[in-house]
Amino acid sequence: MEYKGEGAKGVAVEIRNITKSFGDFRALDDVSISIEKDEFFSLLGPSGCGKTTLLRIIAGFETPESGDITFDGNSILHLPPEKRECNMVFQNYALFPHLSARENIAFPLKLRKMNKDEIRRKVDHYIHLVELDGHEDKRPAQLSGGQRQRVAIARALVCEPSVLLLDEPLSALDAKLRQNLLVELDEIHDKVGITFIYVTHDQSEALSISDHIAVFNEGKVLQTGSPYEIYESPSTRFVASFIGDTNIFPCIVENSVYDNNLEEWLITVQIDELGSTVTVTDYDDIEIGRRLYFTIRPEKIRIVGGERKLGENSFSGFVDEPVYSGYQSKFFVKLDNCTFIKVLKGHTTYLDDGPEIEWKDRVSVSWRAVDGYLVKEEWSEKR
Amino acid sequence: MKRDKKRINVRAYLYSLPMGIWVTLFFAIPIAIILIYSFLEKGLYGGVEWRASLAAYKAILNPNFLIVIWRTVYISVIATAICLLLSFPASYAMARSRHQTLFLFLIIIPFWTNSLIRVYAWINLLSTEGLINNVLIKLGIISEPIPMIYNLFSVILVLVYMYLPFAILPLFTAIDRFDFSLLDAARDLGCGRLRAIILVMFPAIRSGFFNALIFTLIPIFGAYTVPLLVGGMGSTMVGNIIVDQVQKTRNWPLASAFSVILTLISMIGVMAMLGSGKKKEEMNEKLL
Amino acid sequence: MRSYYKEKRSFSFSNLCLFFVLLFLFLPLIVVIVYSFNSGRAMVWQGFSLNWYRELFTSSVGLWKALWNSIIIAITSSITATILGTAASIGIKWYRFKGRTYITVATYLPMILPDVIIGISMLIFFSSVNLPLGMFTIYASHTTFNLPFTFLLVSSRLDEFDYSTIEAARDLGAREYDTMVRVVIPSIFPGILSAFLMALTMSIEDFVITFFVSGPGSTTLPLYVYSSIRYGVSPVINALSLILILLSMAIAFTFRRFLKSFAASA
Repeated sequence: MEYKGEGAKGVAVEIRNITKSFGDFRALDDVSISIEKDEFFSLLGPSGCGKTTLLRIIAGFETPESGDITFDGNSILHLPPEKRECNMVFQNYALFPHLSARENIAFPLKLRKMNKDEIRRKVDHYIHLVELDGHEDKRPAQLSGGQRQRVAIARALVCEPSVLLLDEPLSALDAKLRQNLLVELDEIHDKVGITFIYVTHDQSEALSISDHIAVFNEGKVLQTGSPYEIYESPSTRFVASFIGDTNIFPCIVENSVYDNNLEEWLITVQIDELGSTVTVTDYDDIEIGRRLYFTIRPEKIRIVGGERKLGENSFSGFVDEPVYSGYQSKFFVKLDNCTFIKVLKGHTTYLDDGPEIEWKDRVSVSWRAVDGYLVKEEWSEKR
Repeated sequence: MKRDKKRINVRAYLYSLPMGIWVTLFFAIPIAIILIYSFLEKGLYGGVEWRASLAAYKAILNPNFLIVIWRTVYISVIATAICLLLSFPASYAMARSRHQTLFLFLIIIPFWTNSLIRVYAWINLLSTEGLINNVLIKLGIISEPIPMIYNLFSVILVLVYMYLPFAILPLFTAIDRFDFSLLDAARDLGCGRLRAIILVMFPAIRSGFFNALIFTLIPIFGAYTVPLLVGGMGSTMVGNIIVDQVQKTRNWPLASAFSVILTLISMIGVMAMLGSGKKKEEMNEKLL
Repeated sequence: MRSYYKEKRSFSFSNLCLFFVLLFLFLPLIVVIVYSFNSGRAMVWQGFSLNWYRELFTSSVGLWKALWNSIIIAITSSITATILGTAASIGIKWYRFKGRTYITVATYLPMILPDVIIGISMLIFFSSVNLPLGMFTIYASHTTFNLPFTFLLVSSRLDEFDYSTIEAARDLGAREYDTMVRVVIPSIFPGILSAFLMALTMSIEDFVITFFVSGPGSTTLPLYVYSSIRYGVSPVINALSLILILLSMAIAFTFRRFLKSFAASA
């Protein structure tokens, strides 16, 4: 078993070069992912990106045209869904309407001809695990959305699969409930300690719960990594703008020098939209003349009232649209050359006289070179 | 709907009363009349004598009639069972098909041809000099024509033919509404394909199944034309007796008594099926 | 989601069953159509001819009279049943009043009773009140057995109707009459139309009930077919069937297009 750093127990699910088309539509294009044992892995992407198709291929409901999937090194593609060591939590729960919560959870155990006491013991255990005590004899129609979700999770877990597949399990719930269930899902993952593969289109869900994320778009995996890597070092323009909010501009690399203090390369790029050059750090030397994207997250930009020069990467403009949301304000700042830039300012202290920066105020924005990031995706003149 | 109560009632009757009067006049009263007639004595030349009597009901207990009733039950059960057995896989295939509308169209088209013409076509197909016997003899498979018509076989075959679409349409609707992800879920949890259908799909399409049952069993039970045209002496059904009593024997009370019994059986059947189908749903609703 | 099943396994047990069911359903129709072009009378192929079509159009007065009777009764009884059924479904869906359950039950019952009983009860009723059998009695009986279906179809359409649009219309200044004509009727129109078409089909098709309540001179098409089956069949019936099949398919297609464009504009 290959050692992969602390906590790594080896690969649980290996997805190799999977391709799948529906008619002319290519749903998955040469997708390869490896998922480690017992981790919480998210497949993230907009709807129609192929993430659900991949999940259904793993579960056995779709057959890929090429590629292979292995569980613990053994190929599973030849197995029918019922023989695979994974269970699924369906998007709309897919609870059997004619069975009570308890009967739904016991369903797979009865199929396996387990004895009654054993079934009762196991079902009770999982009912308790998902905190459904007191609701076990209700039908799905009598349960709330969140409770149905718990039944679906318990039903999928009760056979103790090595992999749990979750297909947007929270998408049908309202925002508050979603937050709570997300925390519970995390707790359940900690308790059962098996591999979770979680499909979602909600980047904040994926960021907050996953050990690793694969970002999908148009049938391709754009980037795989930890939430931190995906957020801070997006590999493409799509990933940068899909995960969180950001300002992103095409740029041309003008200069690159090694900075001994920072132990990083200090890179100067020309950004036409800002009408100026900007400095940004990177771990690697970048060839002069490359056309890349420069991105800066709104929360990493500093904003102050009035016109002040604030060192490197400083611009001034007007507040075009302030959006106050209690714990923070978001400003759309119209720079002097008419480019808009989004800035987030957290309100960490008591605001006595209301926000100090208001609509139409003259402001200055700036950021440190280490806070920007160069996305290594090339652009061409045409765009 | 906050409107003043008196106005509500005026509108309600304005809308509903015309139909209410119509069904009272042309349905409720006629049914009431045969109910009353069934307890009267028969008149000499048709019609009734206004004297209460149970003669009609006693006459039904005549063994000749009992045989026909038993035969009617027997034919209905077999024909209905065949209809349902054929229509389940067929409507399953339709619901799963990408060409649902086309198939629906194909199922309905035969309806547009007069049913008597279709019965007539079956006569042509099945009769001793008919197409099937002709072809079989020409091919040398048989030397003597097989008697396929004017017997129980032809009656059941043509009844199945006539009422098959009535079983397919409600079953198709139910299967089409069925959430197929439940089958995925069942398979994911360890069911084989057929087992998933039995354990998960059958309970979900119960009401469609009962509709199909009602829409085939009851008309078959009261069938008249089919046994008349393709049946023989040994395959008359209750419907034929009733008509004979009206048209030939002119025994209105006896015809009425038969009708009352047929009505009761149909209604009890429907109630029982609706009751068993709805009980569980109602229980759920009450609990909510 | 279901695309998986739809594309998979085009050859399966259930598809095979569907194929045989369709074959079974169409076998008699094919026989009717093929033999309408047969030159002989018997079920033996004696060569192609259009004799029966010629006879249909030149020397089948009785048949055309029967068809005409059928059409008159179908149209009048369908219109009556559609109007009564639509009005009643509005009354019964939107209001609570005494007799509501009675009307509902009395309307639905004919749907589940065998045709023979409806026919007999009407025959006995008409003779008891000394109403001469003829076109009117057929019209009355057809309207009666069509009512449950028009009522059912319009009611189910009304279930989907959003009552708040009426409140919106009233709020915007529409009087009750305007609301009915401009809001309610147009939005349940597909239901009304399908109810009418259904009634039309069932009326043209009915044999058993008509058989009891018809009198001299009121022979409908099914009665004509019946007597020709009983007393010597002429393949003219086959020819007529093909024409009727084509006609009803044409009607269905035109209305299908109409329904689609209606749905698009709504």
